Amino acid sequence: MSHPSSARQALLCATILTATLGFNAAVDFGTAQAAEPIKIGVISEEAAVAGASISRAAQMAADEINAAGGVNGSKIEIVAYDDHSSAADAVRAFQRAVNQDHVKAVIVSYISEVVLAVEPWAARLHMPTITPGAASNDISKRVHDDYAQYKYMFHGWLTSAFIAQSICDAAHDNLVDKLHMKTTVVMSEDAAWTTPLDARYLQCLPKAGLTVLDHIRFNPDTTDFTPIFNQIEAKKPDVIITGISHVGVQPTVQWHDQQVPIPMAGQSSQATTSTFWKDTNGATEGVITASAASPGVALSPSTIPFTEAYTKKFGASPSYDGYTSYDEVHYIVDAIKRAGSTDADKMVDALEKTDYVGTVGRVQFYGKDDEFTHAMKYGKGFVTGVEIQWQNGKQVCIWPADKCEAKLTFPSFAKLPQ
Amino acid sequence: MTRLIQSRGFWIALLIVIVGAAGPWWLSAYILGVLTSAYYFSVFAMSWDLLFGFAGEVNFGPTFLIGLGAYGAAILNSTMGYAIPICLVFGVVVALVGGLLLAVPALRLHGPYFGLITLVSVLLLRNAIVIFASVTGGEIGMTVPDVLSIDANVNYWYALAFMVVCAIILFGLSRSAVGLILQASGQDAIEAAALGFNVTKHKLAAFCVSAAFSGLAGGMLVFYLGAASVDTVIDLSIAVQIIIAAVLGGRRTILGAALGAIVLLLADEALRPLGQLNTFVVSGVALAVILFFPDGLLGYLLHGKEE
Amino acid sequence: MLASQILIDGFAISALYGLGAVGFTLIFGVSGVLNLAHGGVMLVAALIGWFVASEFETGPFLGAALGILAGLGMAYLTYFIVVRPIQRSRVIPAAEQEIFILTGTLLWGIMIQVGMDYLFTDNPVTMRPMFPGVVNLLGVRTPRNELMIAVICWVVIGLLWLLVNRTRAGKQLLAASINPRGLTLLGFELSNIYLLVWSIYGVLAGLAGVLLASFLGVSSANAGQLTASAFSIVVLGGLGSVSGSLVAAYVVGYLETITAYLIAPTLRPIPALLLLVLVMYVRPQGLFGRR
Repeated sequence: MSHPSSARQALLCATILTATLGFNAAVDFGTAQAAEPIKIGVISEEAAVAGASISRAAQMAADEINAAGGVNGSKIEIVAYDDHSSAADAVRAFQRAVNQDHVKAVIVSYISEVVLAVEPWAARLHMPTITPGAASNDISKRVHDDYAQYKYMFHGWLTSAFIAQSICDAAHDNLVDKLHMKTTVVMSEDAAWTTPLDARYLQCLPKAGLTVLDHIRFNPDTTDFTPIFNQIEAKKPDVIITGISHVGVQPTVQWHDQQVPIPMAGQSSQATTSTFWKDTNGATEGVITASAASPGVALSPSTIPFTEAYTKKFGASPSYDGYTSYDEVHYIVDAIKRAGSTDADKMVDALEKTDYVGTVGRVQFYGKDDEFTHAMKYGKGFVTGVEIQWQNGKQVCIWPADKCEAKLTFPSFAKLPQ
Repeated sequence: MTRLIQSRGFWIALLIVIVGAAGPWWLSAYILGVLTSAYYFSVFAMSWDLLFGFAGEVNFGPTFLIGLGAYGAAILNSTMGYAIPICLVFGVVVALVGGLLLAVPALRLHGPYFGLITLVSVLLLRNAIVIFASVTGGEIGMTVPDVLSIDANVNYWYALAFMVVCAIILFGLSRSAVGLILQASGQDAIEAAALGFNVTKHKLAAFCVSAAFSGLAGGMLVFYLGAASVDTVIDLSIAVQIIIAAVLGGRRTILGAALGAIVLLLADEALRPLGQLNTFVVSGVALAVILFFPDGLLGYLLHGKEE
Repeated sequence: MLASQILIDGFAISALYGLGAVGFTLIFGVSGVLNLAHGGVMLVAALIGWFVASEFETGPFLGAALGILAGLGMAYLTYFIVVRPIQRSRVIPAAEQEIFILTGTLLWGIMIQVGMDYLFTDNPVTMRPMFPGVVNLLGVRTPRNELMIAVICWVVIGLLWLLVNRTRAGKQLLAASINPRGLTLLGFELSNIYLLVWSIYGVLAGLAGVLLASFLGVSSANAGQLTASAFSIVVLGGLGSVSGSLVAAYVVGYLETITAYLIAPTLRPIPALLLLVLVMYVRPQGLFGRR
């Protein structure tokens, strides 16, 4: 081999070695120097409208706690990771958070697929982990079925089963009692969280007074909803009950542009964000969706102050998982205080005893013997979520009746039963 | 064999492997994790480079073979509960079958058509996985009950050993007599055929080798992560990264592909503070490299600007 | 009733596919480039068009115009930053140019997608319909916008045909696609011709992006799918053949629509993919491809 070539080889090897060592040292150096803050990892989808709220809200909560003196003098530090909506990236980020950054708890994602992939790692690595927005029943079912292994996982939002139940309860109050609707078609995306959602819909909607005429599941990659709406219209239901999160803008806009004469209600996660009106150019007028909180509605004393502070700081109101993420940081810290330690098992015990009034209501978790162990308790006095309807550019709360009294209005092309 | 021991390259490679094996003692757990994934990715890239060198065409569907191996192993493990080695072998078999099915039409096509059929194979597999969600977990992905290890160091050594063994085999193949024939067929099929070699038979064999290694690496990755999903082993973004890694490292060098993969994944992580833009920067740098240093990192190292 | 729905729905979506595919095949036919950043170009046009229309309240038409301009700009960037340097490079062996252009445009496409992700998030955006309201066509309630989009697509394709077959510049394009060396020998500057074809491409892709945003909505997550879709249609029709791309676009569009209506929405893309595989086996040069 000629001299220049081997010199180049040596140079490249040396460069890679130095870079890796330097990088390694920088990372280690960084961690060693910090004065023992308590770290909470946050793994979320920064590019997604719903996901971006998670880390922001968590940071806000940490700032508040630190301003009030932290935990026995230790500050709370949020370490954020972007998982690019990928389960693999989330698992890698989780491993990094635990092995490298030495976090004491992890808040992870609003996507069920991602949370389900991370959950076994929470079990293997004994790390208290909680989700602020995913809905799949399996998250808490696994805890019930194998408590010893999975007890580190907590479900910080309503499971699909309870989301569906809240929608059925609201449908009974608003759609059946007030508007005399009798039939419906269920339309949902084919994803982890909608399988149990739909199963519950099919159970509780008839009990609420709505006969289910058809059940359509579509590919989350769908961009053209015309065939689906045409299929639904052929059945002539009084209302469409949705289960959509991965999609939102497109079906809503197409529903409006095609003037489908059937109102839409149910769960449309994207419709819970304040930018949705702009994103759909107002096509979302009249769409009803379940949500964690509604502007102007005080689910608890901290709801409105949080909403206002977040909106002021970031220019838009938080999506539903911003509320839960904010609460989670607070009650994780609360659990650490009650446990008197950041030991994983002690934290789990303390978290199980959580009784915290957060922005979304009173947070408690189901226990070992309940069906959905470590899931958020649903019901009056706990967390029920709200139902909102978009009216004239604003999210108006229409349920539960004891918190909201607004009237329902629909666009002219949506036909109501007489 | 003696010639091998006498070559400088052999000792440099050996040194790198020894330093790498000592990783757990001088590298942080975080970098170990990144490198573990990078090592599996290296095998993806090396398999791609082998096929590329021999078929002479850009294969957009390495993830077809990887996905078959990964899901084959994952499904067997989660439905039947067989031990990991058995599942891995099954994954390889599935990938081989898939590779043969793909090779039949693919080898009759050239240029963009070859690229397209490999692309379509990935799209079809992805759709199949989504449709048969009850078995495969669909878009959700699926978790597997068994993992290689929960210890970061052990996982690292598994990955390093796997990569080294694959590198030795693949590199050896590419430099063997058979390998040189295939290189020739890839670059000038007419000449090779005129010289009397059964080009198609050899290319088919190349497809099978690439399929076997891709499938095996896919299975190993699944048992490392504990999960299989379309965005880990099938999506086009993964295929793109593999191609970039191989071209960045230096095409038709096999080892260059491994180098490219490691550099790519390390760079991706190193730029994590940039948040979402890390992919942007890495892609930008890769683009600049292929524009100005088309022989890639290893190619540049070995040949420089000589023509 | 169902038949009319399928007829109309299929027609509109096919027209849109056709517009996107025509640009893609034109670039390949004239300059031999498979631009894998195609989805990215459409995406930029759609996002900029939406951004302008909603941030500055300009209304859909001005937004669309600026979107198309953005598409044109992005096409130029693609040509000058990625394609031309590779075509003129002295370090890249000529035989491998195609592979490098593929990889280079692929990387560029990723950069565009991630850049747009960062600026706009991956939330889908829709442009306000340029022609709101619905009409009753063959007994089917159809959004006016959908019909107008199909009309616009065909008008533009017609204009393109006129350009290629009736103008001098167009005939040079045609000649370049058949025999570039011959053209140089006759004294024509290939680089001017390439510039022309990239300009046409930019307008076509930009328009396709803007119309897609208006009809169905677009998000940065779609970029890869848009490229793959155009690629498939173009190969099915025959690389380099504009009429082939149009026919293939309609075949694919109707196959998808019929599947979505009559079989199941989840299986929508499958028959078209299977058809593609079949064609690859039987007639790899596509329906109208020249060999």
